[in-house]
Amino acid sequence: MQFDFFTWLAGIPDWIYGILQWIYHLIMGIFFWAWGVIEWLWASVFAPESFMFLFRAVLFPGLIFVVLTLIWAVWFTRKLWGRIQDRRGPVHMGKYGGLQLFADAIKLIAKENIIPDNAKRWMFRFLPGLLLVVVLLPFCFIPWDFDYWFIADLSVSLVLVFAFLTAVPVVALLAGWVSGSKYSLIGGFRAANNQFAAEIPMIISSVGPAILAGSLSLMGIAQAQTSVWFAVLLPINLATFLVAAIASVGIFPFDAPVADSEIIFGWRTEFTGIYFTLTYFAEFAEQMLYSALIVALFLGGPVGLPFLPGAVNFIIKFIITFFFFVLVSSSFQRLRQDQIVHYCWKYLLPLALLNVVIAMLAIVYLPGIAALLPLGGP
Amino acid sequence: MSESTGITASTLARQIINRHPQVSSRPLGTNEIELVVPSDKIRGVVTMIDENVHDALPESIFGIDLENDKYELIYIFWSHSNRMLVQLRVSLEGERPEIDSTCDIFPGFEWHERETREMFGIEFKNHPDPRLLLLPDELEGVFPLRKRFQTDQSRLDETGIAPPKARPKTGGDDE
Amino acid sequence: MSPDILDEAMEIWFGPQHVSAHGWATKLTLVGDYVVECDPNAGYFHRSAEKVLEYKNFRQGSLVLERMCMLEAFLAEYPYVAAVEKIAELEVPERAKIMRTIMMEMSRLHSIQFWWGQFNAELGFFTMALWPWVDREYSLDAFEELTGSRHTVSYSTPGGVKYDFTDKVLKQLDRAIKRFEDRLPKFRDMQMGSPTFRARTKGIGQYTVKQGLKWGLSGPPIKACGVPMDLRKDAPDPNLAYNMCDWEVPITENPDHPGESDALDRMEQRFKEAETSVQIIKQLLPQLPEGPIIDPKARAKANRLPEGEAYARVEGTRGITSLWLKTQDKAQTAYRAKIRGPCIASYYALKDLVPGAKFADFIVIFGSLDPYPGWWDR
Repeated sequence: MQFDFFTWLAGIPDWIYGILQWIYHLIMGIFFWAWGVIEWLWASVFAPESFMFLFRAVLFPGLIFVVLTLIWAVWFTRKLWGRIQDRRGPVHMGKYGGLQLFADAIKLIAKENIIPDNAKRWMFRFLPGLLLVVVLLPFCFIPWDFDYWFIADLSVSLVLVFAFLTAVPVVALLAGWVSGSKYSLIGGFRAANNQFAAEIPMIISSVGPAILAGSLSLMGIAQAQTSVWFAVLLPINLATFLVAAIASVGIFPFDAPVADSEIIFGWRTEFTGIYFTLTYFAEFAEQMLYSALIVALFLGGPVGLPFLPGAVNFIIKFIITFFFFVLVSSSFQRLRQDQIVHYCWKYLLPLALLNVVIAMLAIVYLPGIAALLPLGGP
Repeated sequence: MSESTGITASTLARQIINRHPQVSSRPLGTNEIELVVPSDKIRGVVTMIDENVHDALPESIFGIDLENDKYELIYIFWSHSNRMLVQLRVSLEGERPEIDSTCDIFPGFEWHERETREMFGIEFKNHPDPRLLLLPDELEGVFPLRKRFQTDQSRLDETGIAPPKARPKTGGDDE
Repeated sequence: MSPDILDEAMEIWFGPQHVSAHGWATKLTLVGDYVVECDPNAGYFHRSAEKVLEYKNFRQGSLVLERMCMLEAFLAEYPYVAAVEKIAELEVPERAKIMRTIMMEMSRLHSIQFWWGQFNAELGFFTMALWPWVDREYSLDAFEELTGSRHTVSYSTPGGVKYDFTDKVLKQLDRAIKRFEDRLPKFRDMQMGSPTFRARTKGIGQYTVKQGLKWGLSGPPIKACGVPMDLRKDAPDPNLAYNMCDWEVPITENPDHPGESDALDRMEQRFKEAETSVQIIKQLLPQLPEGPIIDPKARAKANRLPEGEAYARVEGTRGITSLWLKTQDKAQTAYRAKIRGPCIASYYALKDLVPGAKFADFIVIFGSLDPYPGWWDR
């Protein structure tokens, strides 16, 4: 085709228009994409039901609430220990020493982080944080209330919580290994030993509530206790769960993993500054988690005084359970690690099994009990 | 543990002197006796004490520097059932005097002998563990409890211990 | 022990930076959880006291000795004073004798209270650790009122004592004794009735009298085997008032193994020791006669001593504490002073006592013998 200058000249406006249109579509495309993102964000964050989910996950009963409870738990433990041990506990920072933990945390964070030459640096930095995350995550399955004021409800949340908790001594063992110190290594293996001793009795103890409720969800188990608490039907399981939980956390008298007079501070020996703070918090978070589990499994969860909100009932029972943790941990001499295995396997395990069997026999042969449970009566 | 009949200090001394005539005795008080033992007879005498006194408690061994390369060693035993105190005195001479170790008879003497060796330079032959007990390694062969050991600063070079650094005047900025 | 086992052995230094190792270090060889070799090391607390004593005059010397063990300062300083009194042939007034004895028994009581706390802290039971330490404050208050110092008391001096009892001191002594007697049944219940304590100490660190004597042990570790070996009865010091009151040497019999003692027996023995101390103090306090507290010529006589040798011993809290003193004629300082602390034997005994024990039991064995590093390092 012959080149026609005038046709070409007439085509220029079309060409410019095409470019403009392309730019327009590009801009509009970006705009609508951004708009879509904003809309999605709006829908997922600020739309009332989604916003409230985030509120629950972050503020109450989620992360912030758990961290504040953690701070309270540290203060409560120290204060109670002080009172039991004929001294006053923290008094200087804030009212009744309430700000002591903040002062301690600031001091610890401001400290130099010393990483031993033999340590595997990357893991050494990573593990304390991982530990705290692993311990804090299961809190999302705790049924603080039956409706609304809980975060997540899975049909297998009980199993999932135990799966998370099994990771804790693995992290401890790894931390002992990567610290590059003999004392840390011994402490890591002792932590694994503690878990080995305490885990089976603890899970067997939680089998009782799961069977009676006919559910593996913590929410389901809590809901099953509206007419009768499982502490009534399974009192021995409550006791064995408490003891096994204390052994699993590794506080006195089962504190062989961090026995300070024997192995300095066990697997935490080499941690300094913020790393130590994280492991310290993780220990208290684990105690709190077990307290919350005991309330959900045995003490009826949110069931309680009818004129109080369910979450308040739960928290009251939670505090009482936590008090028992502190009480037990300040009343006994430390056990040797072989004695821990001995006690857990020889006494706790048969007792836990026995109570499950007794409860099942009672359901079959005692009329009236089954009607209280969601298994359904005859 | 055989409940042997009681033995008095003088009886024990007589038995020991009968066996080892070179030993001489001197009373110290009621049922307390001192035996002057030649250095080559020390194992025999300590063995006899172990055999004849069933609950002999090895209290201590220590040296005394009498200057001019003369040393004395004192061994002290106490027996509760007999209320008896026995003190052995051994005279030694020389720059590095030697004596037989008795810590296989009374294990409690092991550390006393180690200490006497590092402090006075008295060698205990056949001692199982002749390391320094209390002193740092720099003071091996210096024998601080000898009288000729001066404790002023003039001997600081000899010990090999670095003298303390003067404190810097301007804070920690130098380093 | 075959050489292959030692291939897997781990050498571990228990101290000198260990939290329980205050001034000592022990090298342990571990195979698995068992200690196969124990090598106690001394010298971390060495202050060359014997050389220092050659430069101190006879009234200053006891100040060096009380720094060997500040927990039993009244007892620790006494051998030097007694040796000087023997060489200088000083007379001690009756009142000073009784005051010395009372304060020495108070010192023993205080030392045992401290040891309870320390041993329980080593066993991981801080409640029982802090309770005796509160009572200990009452004794320390009395010491402070009497001498102006809580630990380095420098009370006895050749020829008598330095400070007279005031009404306030007597009141405070009374208060300390009353407080102790109030709390003793509670302590005994908490300690001997605790199942975890029995589990940790029964059969741990067991030895026979013959073994103990060969190592050179004396005091409570031997009395716990059932042998009433006590210098207060065996060789009564004429300058002390132990024969002015009626008391029995406390012994503990192991019901299963006569003539042997384990950590549990040694704890029981410490209870009896403290009771005996209180018994002696309570009998001596009313017998306190009026009169001078020091021989007025003693000061001049103790300035320069005649030539002589003296061996002075006292039954300390931890065993036979003695000082061998040699003086030259008209000398102002000692020619040779040998301090014999009781703990050199108990620390040495670890070498034979620990192998075969579990690693966690090492600190129990160590603590039950109550060694204080000042006594072997001097």
